[in-house]
Amino acid sequence: MVSLDQLKEEVKKALSSGKVKYFIGYENIGSGWQVRPAFIRQPEDVDRLVWTPACFHNLVRFLHDEKRRRAREKNPDIRPVGLVVKGCDSRSINVLLQEKYIERNDVYIIGVSCELTGVINITKLNQHLNGLKPQKVLFGSKGTFKVIVDDREIEIEAPDILADRCLECPANFPVIADVILGEEIKRNPGNRYQSISAYEKMALDERWSFWQQQFSRCLRCYACRSVCPMCYCDECVADSIAYAVTAETTADEKAQKTRWVERNPELSENIFYHLVRAIHLAGRCVDCGECERVCPVEIPLRLLNKKMEKEAKELFGYEVGFDPAQPPLIACFRDNDPQDFIR
Amino acid sequence: MMEKTILKSSFPQWIKSLQSFKVFIPKRENFGWELSSNNQILEIASDYTYPVVPPKKLIFPQEEIFFEFEQNPDNGIELKEVLPEESPQVIFGVRPCDGRAVEAMDLVFGGSFEDLYYWRRRRQTTLVGLACHQPPSENCFCLSVEGSPYSEDGLDILLTDLGDRYFVKALTEKGEKLLSEAPSLFKEITPKDREEKERVHLEAQGKIKRHLNGARELPEKIKAIFDSNFWDEESSNCLRCGICTYLCPTCHCFDINDETKSLAPLRGRRIRTWDTCQFPDFTMHSSGHNPRPDRASRLRQRLAHKFLYFILLYDRFQCVGCGRCISLCPVGIDIIEVLTRARNHGK
Repeated sequence: MVSLDQLKEEVKKALSSGKVKYFIGYENIGSGWQVRPAFIRQPEDVDRLVWTPACFHNLVRFLHDEKRRRAREKNPDIRPVGLVVKGCDSRSINVLLQEKYIERNDVYIIGVSCELTGVINITKLNQHLNGLKPQKVLFGSKGTFKVIVDDREIEIEAPDILADRCLECPANFPVIADVILGEEIKRNPGNRYQSISAYEKMALDERWSFWQQQFSRCLRCYACRSVCPMCYCDECVADSIAYAVTAETTADEKAQKTRWVERNPELSENIFYHLVRAIHLAGRCVDCGECERVCPVEIPLRLLNKKMEKEAKELFGYEVGFDPAQPPLIACFRDNDPQDFIR
Repeated sequence: MMEKTILKSSFPQWIKSLQSFKVFIPKRENFGWELSSNNQILEIASDYTYPVVPPKKLIFPQEEIFFEFEQNPDNGIELKEVLPEESPQVIFGVRPCDGRAVEAMDLVFGGSFEDLYYWRRRRQTTLVGLACHQPPSENCFCLSVEGSPYSEDGLDILLTDLGDRYFVKALTEKGEKLLSEAPSLFKEITPKDREEKERVHLEAQGKIKRHLNGARELPEKIKAIFDSNFWDEESSNCLRCGICTYLCPTCHCFDINDETKSLAPLRGRRIRTWDTCQFPDFTMHSSGHNPRPDRASRLRQRLAHKFLYFILLYDRFQCVGCGRCISLCPVGIDIIEVLTRARNHGK
């Protein structure tokens, strides 16, 4: 079991020794059981921290903000930022390292093992509780969750309410960290591509109409892009809201900026946005599932990203985020590549 | 004002009688409730809460074409004005908060300059409200912002569910016209109907769990802490996505762009789309200077618009307490909590 006391102790140590600039973990929202990312700046604030099955958020995404902040400030504090990361999250740190977006000493990593469980899916939890409102959601003994409802304790088998991505996860233990909490327990992830199996059986035209239907309700709030640990570009070709204009940008440059995607939420633009994003995440997405979790109209974005992950695996034997020294998928080739165009 | 009742068993006939209107009724989708005009649904489901995307989108759509332009052979530019179709629509199941939100938008798009596009749709729209039995969301706080689960503001009709029938209160001429489409379905009210309606309203009020105390003190307070680092701390985990504003029933900011479909000959259109103060480029100047450069100033803008500027302009809140921004925020930014801390800041 991951010990919350130990987590607090480690964070306190890192903060009071001045090793980290600040620490990002999880805290409860109000008095409820849901959690949100918490910025801990003082050692005495570590008591706000929690570690529960509702800690879905991939905090690695906040490293982008820190990098931008450093770029803005004249004499930035360049100490590392502390993060709590799960196995999946730790893989996204590796991708940022591979791409040289960050350096290893930009981040101080407290890894937590998901052991035999992971994080929950709220919809599944609500269905399981059939209208009852949970007061607390906690890790149970081996492979279960403990949910407190009406002051009663209910034990739920993990697979019943685990997030889909956790059921298919190949990394329940952090792959890179400075401190690791919890046990390294081998777990058989089962079929890693279970969630796309039904989709893969669809004929091409069925898939096309399926995605048209899904994308037609996209509001382009860009929550999927904004929450993504891999979406750090200052200017995004798939998104018309982020123009990298500075005081040095000339009038000509500004006038000639290409708007690859228009701001209107018509189907053509929505499809362009999502498909370009999916391609840009191929070989980079670690399936933290955040894009799908935050979507207010529940577009099943994991399907797209999971499919790209499978393609990368099957075509190029490429696994994302296990080795920080591995070159990025689109920046490498193998001598024994089955296709000959590269040679 | 006209008060009647209608049996739920007669409700489908009423809907069917509205053939000259485009009728929107709440439909359950896998992502939540949506206002749908597919003509299949003839009743409001008993477990209906409220639509994920508020009714504002049917009056102030996310995309509005102003005009189309095209270069003609003598190199002149031809403009073709595009106006919203004048087709009457009825929206059923508008929750009182969302009705009040439309009323707030009326102020913005009305006044000394009337927005042609908005009002063309608005005048064609009849809002049929449905009083809340249960708060549609655990984050509802309408009572704290001068609303209620049975507020009539902005609505043309208010329905109250009395079990086997609805109490129907027509509040405007548009509302009365809707009843006149099928007059035989509506019955005179009895004192018992009225009594029951009052009871339902009062009970609903008691079921609202969340409250923002002292909202009228906020304008002064927000002014006082405008430059405080309070906003940095509160916004530290904001992702700069558009959920809180796009799904807000009162947020109405927009952007206008020329979309070019072809360069030679030049062809395209000018369109208005939703925009939000939460996107970094919302206030970006062409020089590259951004007067709201960080998440702190953007969160402050969102809350100050709702609890300071709007009050100065119109003496009412620009928040109706629907709680959508709280429930849907990916990182748990809670407008009630933030404003409560703002009110107590420095105390």
